[in-house]
Amino acid sequence: MSVAAGTRAALRQPAPPSFASKIKNFLRIDGWGALVLPLLVFLILVFILPLFVMLQKSFTDPTFGWQNYTAIFAQSVYVKVLGNTFLTAAIVTAVTLLLAFPYAYLMTLATPKWRTVMLVLVLVPFWTSILVRSFALVLLLRDTGVLNSLAQDAGLIAEPVTIIRTMSGVVIGMVQVALPFAVLPIYATMRTIDRRLLQAAEGLGDRPSGAFLRIFVPLSLPGVAAAILLTFVQALGYYITPALLGGPKNTMIGELIVQQVSTVLRFGFAAALATMLLVTTFLLIGLASKYFDLQKHLMGQS
Amino acid sequence: MLALSLSACGGAGTASDEKSLTVTMWGGQAQSAHVASYFTPWAAESGVTIKEDSPTDYAKIETQVNAGKVNWGVVEVEPNFANTACEKGLLEKLPQRVIDAAKAAGVPEAQMGECAIPNLQYTFSIAYNTEVFADKHPTNWAEFFDTKTFPGKRGFWKYATGGLFEAALLADGVPADKLYPLDLPRAFAKLDTIKKDIVWYDTGDQQTQLVASGEAPLVQAWNGRITKAAAEGQAVANDYGQNLISYDQVVIPKGYPNAELAADWMVWFLGNGQAQADDAVASGYGPVSSDAIGLVPEADRKDLAGSEEVSKDSAGLIDYSYWAKNYDSVTEELNNWIAK
Repeated sequence: MSVAAGTRAALRQPAPPSFASKIKNFLRIDGWGALVLPLLVFLILVFILPLFVMLQKSFTDPTFGWQNYTAIFAQSVYVKVLGNTFLTAAIVTAVTLLLAFPYAYLMTLATPKWRTVMLVLVLVPFWTSILVRSFALVLLLRDTGVLNSLAQDAGLIAEPVTIIRTMSGVVIGMVQVALPFAVLPIYATMRTIDRRLLQAAEGLGDRPSGAFLRIFVPLSLPGVAAAILLTFVQALGYYITPALLGGPKNTMIGELIVQQVSTVLRFGFAAALATMLLVTTFLLIGLASKYFDLQKHLMGQS
Repeated sequence: MLALSLSACGGAGTASDEKSLTVTMWGGQAQSAHVASYFTPWAAESGVTIKEDSPTDYAKIETQVNAGKVNWGVVEVEPNFANTACEKGLLEKLPQRVIDAAKAAGVPEAQMGECAIPNLQYTFSIAYNTEVFADKHPTNWAEFFDTKTFPGKRGFWKYATGGLFEAALLADGVPADKLYPLDLPRAFAKLDTIKKDIVWYDTGDQQTQLVASGEAPLVQAWNGRITKAAAEGQAVANDYGQNLISYDQVVIPKGYPNAELAADWMVWFLGNGQAQADDAVASGYGPVSSDAIGLVPEADRKDLAGSEEVSKDSAGLIDYSYWAKNYDSVTEELNNWIAK
């Protein structure tokens, strides 16, 4: 973010709008800009370069050409699983948002003591392994699990309700992982909203609900946008949780990529699958930004 | 290239130490048992330092060998990988003295590879919940597939070589000696009949959880896991009717600096039935040398692959030469079938 901000600051210099000078400005690094260098070098080494190697492998391993990509479309399973991956990520994002927004709002209203408690509650999952949490959920939710046995013993249900090995199981499992990533940015944005604006709106005759919808919600959108992006992109890469809590229909693309890398050893094909996921994600984000000014909401400027 | 050398230099340098051997296995309790029973005693005798890593990762073997920086000395792998990797030149060929030692130890010919010796055997057998099926339980694969007589979910390993196709064909009446090459359409047709009742597992822990909880009271499981869980008092048991015998192998990645030392260990291991018997008791996996099973206390023997008790009901050995050729394509077919 700071790169972009720095760049934009550089662009705002009163330079003549020629292309060459734009490039020059873009590349110009002032004293503050240098602070970003360590991170940049790190990212180039551990992220950009491997990404490049992956891209290259998808076209060259085992031989040069498009064969890894045509192989993806030769089998309906990969396209189906890719589609399922995006669908699952979208559902998880929606559910996460529905839970995170009111929670974050409540945090802004709570007393400092309760706010701390709520914050800790959100953060606790961060400190437990995803694997442990997913296994715990299996024990809780399975047909013979704690919830079903309790409900059956209490006479609430006659037959166990199947939760795991379905989409619900996957969503429950993934939402609990994603929740902190949505609550924190939304809360961070809401905290900065000046509540006097709401009073002003009500003072001017709007109802509280109207003031909330017309003033508070729009002002919280940058946080919501960040939450959507973080949750969605993160959810695309999950595979352990869906593998443990989902059924065969809930396989995500990550699981197939791991299978190709670790047991079938088709690195080129795995790279092609990963590239497909990456490209599709960029396309979706690009599409979203057409209808929704991501830059404005994420960077807080237009 | 840079990424490759970066990832490979994690433990570089250690392998060239004068007298050390890095052992990489699947991890967990089993690895602790293997190392304690048949690596540590050898290391003490021969003044070698044992280093451990886990779990086995085929991609890492390939990367290490291709980068010319091999840190893993003895690696436990599945036989189909050993077969394919040996052909690709990723593994050291067995020196004659190891082959001789295996012959002398009476290791089954079928479990040997050009680059690999077996280190343990186990079965894919019927694991059942002893509370759900207190009176009678399935004793062959046909009954395992019979959801009318034995209602409940069935657990299978979501893995092409995990024994499910062999079980389906046996259930459909294919004679045990006519299993390979597998009639896949027939196997899928049989699996279709219970598809909605199948629960897939990925790990050994899931197997015992599924059976013990009754979530899937019948699981095609690795016998050692179930034996251990039963010994801990869980309501699970193995039935060895038509069990399929499988085995793991150990290999030496090509170019490992201390490959000679690794071969020394192999010779020692094959000739040391007592160490294998100790491991069998500790890990629940059967030994591979023919004299070893006799050295296991009688009470433990009946649940070990390679014993008289287990062998007499067996439907034979998983044919990993078939799987070496067909693993990739069948994996794709299985992915397709599961997602359908």
